[in-house]
Amino acid sequence: MGLLDLLRKMKSGNDKELRILLLGLDNAGKTTILKSLASEDISHITPTQGFNIKSVQSPGFKLNVWDIGGQRRIRPYWKNYFENTDLLIYVIDSADQKRFEETSLELTELLEEDKLMGAPLLVFANKQDLLSAAPADEVAKGLGLDAIRDRKWQIQACSALTNEGVKEGLDWIAKTCKKK
Amino acid sequence: MKLKRFLLRYYPPGIILEYEQGGNLKTKSIDLLDLKPETDVDAVVDEISRKEPLITASKADQVRKLIQRLQEKLGQKDDHHFYLFKVLRAHILPLTNVGFNKSGSSFITGSYDRTCKVWDTASGEELHTLEGHKNVVYAIAFNNPYGDKIATGSFDKTCKLWSSETGKCYHTYRGHSAEIVCLSFNPQSSIIATGSMDTTAKLWDVQTGSELVTLSGHSAEIISLSFNSTGSQLITGSFDHTVSVWDVKSGKRIHTLIGHKAEISSAQFNWDCSLIATGSMDKTCKIWDTPSGRCIGTLRGHDDEVLDVAFDYTGTLRGHDDEVLDVAFDYTGQMLLTASADGTARCYNAVTHQLISKFEGHEGEISKITFNPQGTSVLTASSDKTARLWDPENGSCKQILEGHTDEIFSCAFNYEGNTMITGSKDNTCRIWR
Repeated sequence: MGLLDLLRKMKSGNDKELRILLLGLDNAGKTTILKSLASEDISHITPTQGFNIKSVQSPGFKLNVWDIGGQRRIRPYWKNYFENTDLLIYVIDSADQKRFEETSLELTELLEEDKLMGAPLLVFANKQDLLSAAPADEVAKGLGLDAIRDRKWQIQACSALTNEGVKEGLDWIAKTCKKK
Repeated sequence: MKLKRFLLRYYPPGIILEYEQGGNLKTKSIDLLDLKPETDVDAVVDEISRKEPLITASKADQVRKLIQRLQEKLGQKDDHHFYLFKVLRAHILPLTNVGFNKSGSSFITGSYDRTCKVWDTASGEELHTLEGHKNVVYAIAFNNPYGDKIATGSFDKTCKLWSSETGKCYHTYRGHSAEIVCLSFNPQSSIIATGSMDTTAKLWDVQTGSELVTLSGHSAEIISLSFNSTGSQLITGSFDHTVSVWDVKSGKRIHTLIGHKAEISSAQFNWDCSLIATGSMDKTCKIWDTPSGRCIGTLRGHDDEVLDVAFDYTGTLRGHDDEVLDVAFDYTGQMLLTASADGTARCYNAVTHQLISKFEGHEGEISKITFNPQGTSVLTASSDKTARLWDPENGSCKQILEGHTDEIFSCAFNYEGNTMITGSKDNTCRIWR
């Protein structure tokens, strides 16, 4: 990819390219979702210490998806990547109910960021393959998504492991950005 | 005019004359770019004495000795085998660019963690963390040859000037309206040039911290810039497919190099600044005549194919199949390197534009390429997590530097050519000796 490609993917591209930010707590499954979106092997994924970028072709758009590491000590650096964001994907580990409050706080802070103002929000309620996973409507309630008035949003139950629900999320992105 | 003393310059070979004129101390350089170990010394001394009034008959013997020392240096065998000396867990986020000071005693790393760090090369110890930027530190530079200052350009739209000795910030230069992605000191270290995603370049005063001039004219992001060796001109490469040549004093554009069909990736002068090489996403590299701004050669796929038919019956050799991401001259300006997204790199004769060698083996795109200061080795950095050393004469791979666990974004040689650093997306920096 190289540094030059980073610069190219950073600028607000043409109408056919979307810059998508993929955020969430550590171990939420962001990188697995990214690889799943790109139809890549998901068997060897380690905690992201920086970021990963993949381009995914969806009908009518090329999605440049930036997956940013979610560990607590590198969360303050999420701001580095806000510029020119067309859409935000936020990933939740639906089985990690202990951290619902933490992830809800992080999301609330993100939605208050000027640079992300108005950017549509897709929440992936991930890890639905686990028995202990909360259903999507419960996750939505926990996050207080109903209170969001300043942007389009959607919650999508998914399992990055089985690839279930990921495509539906992609479809929503394409539909939402077409209308924009 | 009175000659005060001689200074020897190994790479590229040359003798610097320090002399007094009207009470001022001045220097001029005698470039000996064509010098070889087997060159007839007497002939060289004769020619210098003839052309250079400062070299009188009484000085000829001294000059002879200096040339012999240069020849000794040139004759040294380049069979250095590099090993991994140190892994520096340098930053908590990916590195961007790296750079040495002139002597190679220390080097700097920029990072997504918003800092630039200064390192001691011999011990691998961290000397300073330059903190203050509010976003990614992308472009970094020492004010070589002096090395007492460091400039950092950030995605926070500002450039900062620091003391490399104390780590103190002297100035913050504000004015760009988008990310700063390239910068350079002029050779006198009196001016910093910055290039930005806001499509402009700016010149800043090192001493006062004020803006000198804005270079406007590009219609897209500026991603590469460099000064000529006297500091009178600056070239800027842009995503608008062109390269501009600017007069530093007036801030006026002298030439626009038009011809590439896609974004520029890199723009470089050769040593004597008579030529400019430009790499582009259009898969070609072009060579331009600096004084006239005319394109005098295009290194592209089908040119090679014509050559291939003569030499290779399979006809499989071609030009780059993908974007050209970096270009570099050797010090004589005789050889030109190109690195491509197709995972190969090439070495061309910069005069005849013929392909000299091809470097094949990387399993991902090559984003950086450079000669060692001697011009005897080529270093490439790739997304396949390796850096490799190559022989420019025959294209053979001398060494594969393995160990990074993610893409390598940047690499550099020190002046002696016996130490290398690589900076990676894996947050580490590695020293190879």
